[in-house]
Amino acid sequence: MSDFTKIAFFMFFGIAFVFGSMLVVRLLSTSKYDPIKSLPYECGMDTIGPTWIQFQNNYFMYALLFLVFDVETVFLFPWAIRFSQLGLMAFIEMVLFVAMLLLALWYAWKEGVLEWS
Amino acid sequence: MALDISALVPELLVIGLGLLLLIIHILQRQPVPANPIGWVAFLAFTAIALFVVWRMPVAEVTWGGTWLVDPLANFFKILFLLAAALVSLASITSLAGQSRFASEYFVLLSMATAAMMCVISAGDLLTLYVGLEFLAITLVVLTALDRGTAASEAGLKYLILNAISSAALLYGFSLLYGMSGSLVLGEIATIIAGGATQAWAGLALPVAIVLVLSGFAFKTSLVPFHMWSIDVYHGAPTPITAFFAIGSKAAGFAVLIRVFMKLFIPWAAAWVPALIVLSILTFTLGNLVAIPQTDIKRFLAYASIGSAGYIIMGMIAATRGGIEAMLFYAMIYVFATFGAFAVATAVQAQTGSTAISALAGLSKRSPFLALTMLLCTLSLAGVPGLAGFIGKFYIFWAVIDQGYAWLALLGIIVSILSVYYFLLLAKVMYVNDPPAESAIIRVMPSMRLALAVSVFATVFFGVYPGPLINLVTQVAARFIS
Repeated sequence: MSDFTKIAFFMFFGIAFVFGSMLVVRLLSTSKYDPIKSLPYECGMDTIGPTWIQFQNNYFMYALLFLVFDVETVFLFPWAIRFSQLGLMAFIEMVLFVAMLLLALWYAWKEGVLEWS
Repeated sequence: MALDISALVPELLVIGLGLLLLIIHILQRQPVPANPIGWVAFLAFTAIALFVVWRMPVAEVTWGGTWLVDPLANFFKILFLLAAALVSLASITSLAGQSRFASEYFVLLSMATAAMMCVISAGDLLTLYVGLEFLAITLVVLTALDRGTAASEAGLKYLILNAISSAALLYGFSLLYGMSGSLVLGEIATIIAGGATQAWAGLALPVAIVLVLSGFAFKTSLVPFHMWSIDVYHGAPTPITAFFAIGSKAAGFAVLIRVFMKLFIPWAAAWVPALIVLSILTFTLGNLVAIPQTDIKRFLAYASIGSAGYIIMGMIAATRGGIEAMLFYAMIYVFATFGAFAVATAVQAQTGSTAISALAGLSKRSPFLALTMLLCTLSLAGVPGLAGFIGKFYIFWAVIDQGYAWLALLGIIVSILSVYYFLLLAKVMYVNDPPAESAIIRVMPSMRLALAVSVFATVFFGVYPGPLINLVTQVAARFIS
């Protein structure tokens, strides 16, 4: 149980430190309201235009497609390193895997995801 | 190590079907209408189901126990493929008006079926988890495919609540892995069965059992883990609701049988009382809350929750007889529930409404639909002469055999109460006058075939349950021994 006691000890003091320091700051600091201080903070500049504008959601589609190929790389890399030991079966499996991902890209292409409108 | 692909052939065929439909969709200039694709999917699912039936006698454990092709797995694969085939036929009707996503719909349906087949063949916790997530993701997309507010809400609800239940399940799995140092079900079973004196047997194991049970209770929508199912069943396209009720739920029961009977059976005295509470809550609440419903999909959703409460009784018996009863009930429940939801699909396709009042005077507008709905719901209620009666009798017999006669009695009382609300539905269809501006309801040939199959199976197994009882007896015997 001594290991758990140590962990409990660390957890207690870790949490106590965070809330303790917040409490100390709250006690020591002075707080004055100032309209300039409460302006929205945007890299130090004044904001230009309304801040609640909408973004193009095309970015979302690109991110999704990127993820497909990102994950593909994660699997391709260890496979490529051990390629000579793995043999023909692994090669066929990898071809199937890439083919399925290409099918997904083909579908996205057909559905017009790649066109910026 | 040479990999033996032959154990994977049914899954590869279903995934191949999905990819083929996707390629067909990409190659076509115009969106492909639902009518030919639905038939192609139906024929392919039926053919693959026959292939699994043909291979059923072969018992294989492959890849160090991580992939199981035992009779239990094959039985549920046949059930999932039958469900997918029937749902494909019903989907032709529901997609007829708006066929924009028809091919994606069938691609996703194939993938969901493949996912359920992975779930039941999984021999280790990781494959099981990946299968469950694969299933959940395809079902989320299928639910939200309609793009209406209700459909999007249902999809999002299922996504988030399923993530929470997956978290509980994963936590349970991680505890099991921590105790045994293995992910393979067979190895975990040996280690935890011999570990009654270990320190973890007192605390970590009960926690793991509770977490795994709550995860599976979510998938099978047992009360109090049923909250998601009503809104999701209501918002999803009606054939997909049927698929949730018969496929996804059966997959949950299948893994529940596999994990609890293989891993946790030495601790049955601890989890059986929990299951008794879940079962009583589920069949009571499901059957009683169904009474005031005014929407046919919500009504059937509660009725299916009630049925889950009966199916889980087989686990309370925790014997071979109990497993047999669960398998039998799960199979006949497919046909009865599908038939009821298919009638709702046909009525919705014409009237655009899922209110129970839209069924008023159905016997005059389409006697075939009314008769199907009547027989299927009476089978769910357990009226003698129909398959549901044999199923309930089998379940109650299994629990009485284990000394839970009071539980069976309670089940029978609630079951008789449920006849009341199913007869209310019959009154709406047979006695009430049809709405003034209503017309004859047209039923597409594909829908006719699907309904005929479900009515035939419901009546056939009610009058002559012998073949199915033989099958489930053999499957359960091979699984337990």
